[in-house]
Amino acid sequence: MADDKQSLVQGLRQRDPQVLDRLIEEYQYRLFRYLLYITGNLERAEDFFQETWIRVLERGHQYDGKFKFEAWLFTIARNLVIDWQRQKKAVSLDSMTDPEEGKGFEIVDEKAESPLHLLLQGEAQDRVQASLEQLPAAYREVLLLRFQEEMQLDEIAKIQATPISTVKSRLYRGLDALKGLLAGGAA
Amino acid sequence: MTMTNDVHARAETLIAKERVEGISAAEQEWLGQHLRECARCSENSNATQQALRSLRTLSVPLPRELAARTQFRVRLRAQELRAREPRWRLIWAMCGASWVAGAATAPYVWRGLEWFGHRAGLPDLVWKMGFGVWWALPAIVAGAILLMEGSERGAARNAGGAA
Repeated sequence: MADDKQSLVQGLRQRDPQVLDRLIEEYQYRLFRYLLYITGNLERAEDFFQETWIRVLERGHQYDGKFKFEAWLFTIARNLVIDWQRQKKAVSLDSMTDPEEGKGFEIVDEKAESPLHLLLQGEAQDRVQASLEQLPAAYREVLLLRFQEEMQLDEIAKIQATPISTVKSRLYRGLDALKGLLAGGAA
Repeated sequence: MTMTNDVHARAETLIAKERVEGISAAEQEWLGQHLRECARCSENSNATQQALRSLRTLSVPLPRELAARTQFRVRLRAQELRAREPRWRLIWAMCGASWVAGAATAPYVWRGLEWFGHRAGLPDLVWKMGFGVWWALPAIVAGAILLMEGSERGAARNAGGAA
């Protein structure tokens, strides 16, 4: 396990194309899903997906193996989205990441018909998808990281650059909201 | 058995806490016991479980050839970076050599500038500042190159990247 991590660190430092190819294959689903959740837009998620891996190539030497690779990867992806959002709108990071202030971390797509809708199809998924769409993106993000990625709270806190207490509060609120929305949809 | 609202509130808190951050064995035992006795809280627990199950089963179809397209772009970028490496090595070597030469000749340059400053009737501050600029010149050149490199990359990213 430690050897694997060491060879990953080494491969990233040397920009080994085979290591990068393998990582792209291995993490494609999880990274794309994460980007789709936080951007809510297919094309944008694809753009950020590619851009994230370019960044991994360029900054691979900064990965020291202390944290899980996926936490580092998601941090890069998230920062790219936030940077882009900052350029797009002159709003503060706090207002983007805190759903209590306005909509929070929600990228509004000017030409979108329905952000997650096009992708998350199938009858069984419709209700969950509709509920997720109504959640603020910051809640969606923590729910994904905790319950789909099964990340630890400290890893999520590192990705979001927030205290663990904030992560917990978002998780409680997100879970509560999701439960409420699903129950409302079922009724 | 009558239960106070506090008991249900505690159960509700523990149901969420169990999933979010985990609960102690004693809390688990208490919650299990309560859920067996309370239909309302048991229903709440099931609803939470169901919400998480739904979330976990949600799947996202990947765009076609996403990995292959990304691998291609990453390889192109890697080639670009490799092509720049010799140029960078040369720049750093020149900076290093310049610093070494600067350090070795500093006393002579200092005296030379001092002589020139006095001869030209310049205030001390001026020729001393001249010495500072001369000393910092390699760093200024390297900084300018880095800045140019950064702005080129930024422009390329804005043009072809996540725009």
